[in-house]
Amino acid sequence: MPVTDKRAPGVRISDLSVVYRTGAGELPAVRGVDLELVPGTITGVVGESGSGKSTLALSMLNAVQPPGRIRSGSVDIDGLGDVVTLGGEDLRKTRGRHVGYVFQAAQNSLNPLKTIGKQLLDLGRSHEVDDLPGLVKEARSLLDRMGLDGARVLDSYQHELSGGMRQRVGIMLALVLNAHVVVLDEPTTALDMITQATILRIIREVHEERGLTTLVITHDLGVVAEIADRLAVMYGGRLVEQGPTREVLGAPRHPYTRGLLQAIPRLVGDIDEARALPGRPPTLGTIPPDGCVFRERCDVRMDVCETGEPPVLTIGPRIVACHTAAGEGEQKETVTTGPTRGEEQA
Amino acid sequence: MTLIGVPGRSGGIAVVRRLAGHLARGLVMILVVTTISFLIIRNIPGDPMAAKYEKLVEQGMSPEAAQQAVNVLYGFMPTGSMWEQYLDYMKGLARLDLGQSLTVPGTGVGTVLMSAAKWTLIPVLAGTLLSFLVGIILGVYAAIKRQGKLGDLLAISGSLLHGVPQYVLALLLGAIFTTLIPILPAGGTADIMFEPGFNAGYIGSLIQHATLPVVTYALASYGGWILAMKSSVVTVLGDDFILAAELRGMKRSIIFRYIARNAILPLFTILALSLGMLFGGAIFIERIFNYPGLGLMLIDSITGRDYALMGGAFLLITVAIIIANIAADLLYTVIDPRVRSGGEAA
Ligand SMILES: Nc1ncnc2c1ncn2[C@@H]1O[C@H](COP(=O)(O)OP(=O)(O)OP(=O)(O)O)[C@@H](O)[C@H]1O
Ligand code: SF4
Ligand SMILES: [Mg+2]
Repeated sequence: MPVTDKRAPGVRISDLSVVYRTGAGELPAVRGVDLELVPGTITGVVGESGSGKSTLALSMLNAVQPPGRIRSGSVDIDGLGDVVTLGGEDLRKTRGRHVGYVFQAAQNSLNPLKTIGKQLLDLGRSHEVDDLPGLVKEARSLLDRMGLDGARVLDSYQHELSGGMRQRVGIMLALVLNAHVVVLDEPTTALDMITQATILRIIREVHEERGLTTLVITHDLGVVAEIADRLAVMYGGRLVEQGPTREVLGAPRHPYTRGLLQAIPRLVGDIDEARALPGRPPTLGTIPPDGCVFRERCDVRMDVCETGEPPVLTIGPRIVACHTAAGEGEQKETVTTGPTRGEEQA
Repeated sequence: MTLIGVPGRSGGIAVVRRLAGHLARGLVMILVVTTISFLIIRNIPGDPMAAKYEKLVEQGMSPEAAQQAVNVLYGFMPTGSMWEQYLDYMKGLARLDLGQSLTVPGTGVGTVLMSAAKWTLIPVLAGTLLSFLVGIILGVYAAIKRQGKLGDLLAISGSLLHGVPQYVLALLLGAIFTTLIPILPAGGTADIMFEPGFNAGYIGSLIQHATLPVVTYALASYGGWILAMKSSVVTVLGDDFILAAELRGMKRSIIFRYIARNAILPLFTILALSLGMLFGGAIFIERIFNYPGLGLMLIDSITGRDYALMGGAFLLITVAIIIANIAADLLYTVIDPRVRSGGEAA
């Protein structure tokens, strides 16, 4: 049961659009995304490769890389304000200190010429940490908890660590400054199943101990099922469905979420039951400008889907963007509160 | 806890092993170069030794005395089997006896080489280091400002200077500063009016005479440095760990150090090699500015058919390259942890 901690800041992403400049002009990788991270919860974002997950995650730190830029929208973090409007030293001090970030390519997130310990000290000095020995101790204990020999790892260079060890170092560096918002982009991709389970458990534990607000990005529904309180499903730069993890996975409302679930081969049961989604996810250039982004692959599409933007409907604790749900809930324009506290699943 | 300790793990053995490899390869190189020198000296058309011998006999010397004289000149007996001659020659070399110079009669090749070497060593060393320093600093700016005018300008200056042959640059600078605006001497190492020694007049004159060769050499190699550094910095800027450091909110000064240290690393190989080549590298410049270094000496030895001197010069160049390689290797051991541990990942 996640504790809604008083210290945990809430995060409100509103109408966020991020574009990349390409040969065909600026194309949106994230479009009109509204997402609230409830204080003290873990939110999972799932979606196929290229759906805009990392772009969304980078926006949380106002760190979209050229040729990309945030075209519109805001990312409001309690106590920090709208990070999209932050710049210079204010932005730098926010990164790392207040918002911890685990980079998707966490295996390559370290300077090859310095030991992990020295990079940790650089991090501490960058954020004016006075108690550097305390920081080292904290780092060591985090690493120990993740099943590594902390002292040895701090004394190592990147090339002396395996991919999975580096990934855990990346997680440690995101947590060690005690940031209260933590963004993890594919934190367990380089890990085997058992290590992955350990790491997810540690993330969950630290999250609860410290009362964090956490966003976990993954393409693996198993990971979100294990760790996330709330789940947001992304497709072609849009959030197509969100809600409490159990409800979304137990009774998916959006045809894409249904497709994703059906595509998972079960460990027990007939392998033929797993049906891969037909077709391929869109790329920047092939995302349709109007109508539903998913219609090419949707088995229940209607005429209106070709031209009409699906309405964003709030149905109880869930939000669905699909014409099939029309008339069931309230439209986004009339509801601005989003999910409220106390509604998380048990 | 040895957080800041020097990682000693098995590093020493790897260094010794590589050093031994370098020395072995160096010996082979020396053997090849000296053997080729011997074969050239012994087999050039017209047989200079036979010619010398006959000339001495014609001048009235007894055959024995003539043979003795030729032996002193070349370091081996022109009689006896090829193999005996070769062994004699090598034995001489092992005693550091490089034979006698023809162009500077009565002087050992070693002495001639050393007196010429200092006139090459100092200007070329100064020029190389000067252009290296200026080139890498401007190279960093050219990379960081590569979207702007300054970056373009720096890159263009690099490409232009890199494309101009050394001798064109030398002729151009010579024409400008000795003829058009005659503020610098046209040749030599110092005015004869000054007593060689540690006095202001002589040293001032030395510097005046060295200015054109040094500046020409520096300008000629500056383009290479700035282009190499720029491309190296651009590569590092694209590395994941730089973005990761930014996402962790590292200070700009620390990130700058990460970039600079990683980018300069590959350039040390080029620096060591160009320092190794330094003895052979200034032929045109020394010729044009009539500067009595090794380049000029090599030209004189070729025109004077002074094969012993040529052989000695080639040997010196070879040894310099070997030493440069070893120096580069030791340098990498100090600055690159991946080399230090022999490249084996844990
Ligand atoms: N630097 C860039 N230049 C141009 N297009 C980009 C750039 N970075 C990302 N994109 C495009 O933006 C879209 C979203 O990319 P993003 O990396 O956010 O996806 P993702 O969901 O994180 O995918 P993955 O699961 O593969 O990490 C993709 O279509 C991608 O091609
Ligand atoms: S809006 Fe239409 S095309 Fe899109 S998911 Fe719903 S039914 Fe399918
Ligand atoms: Mg991604």
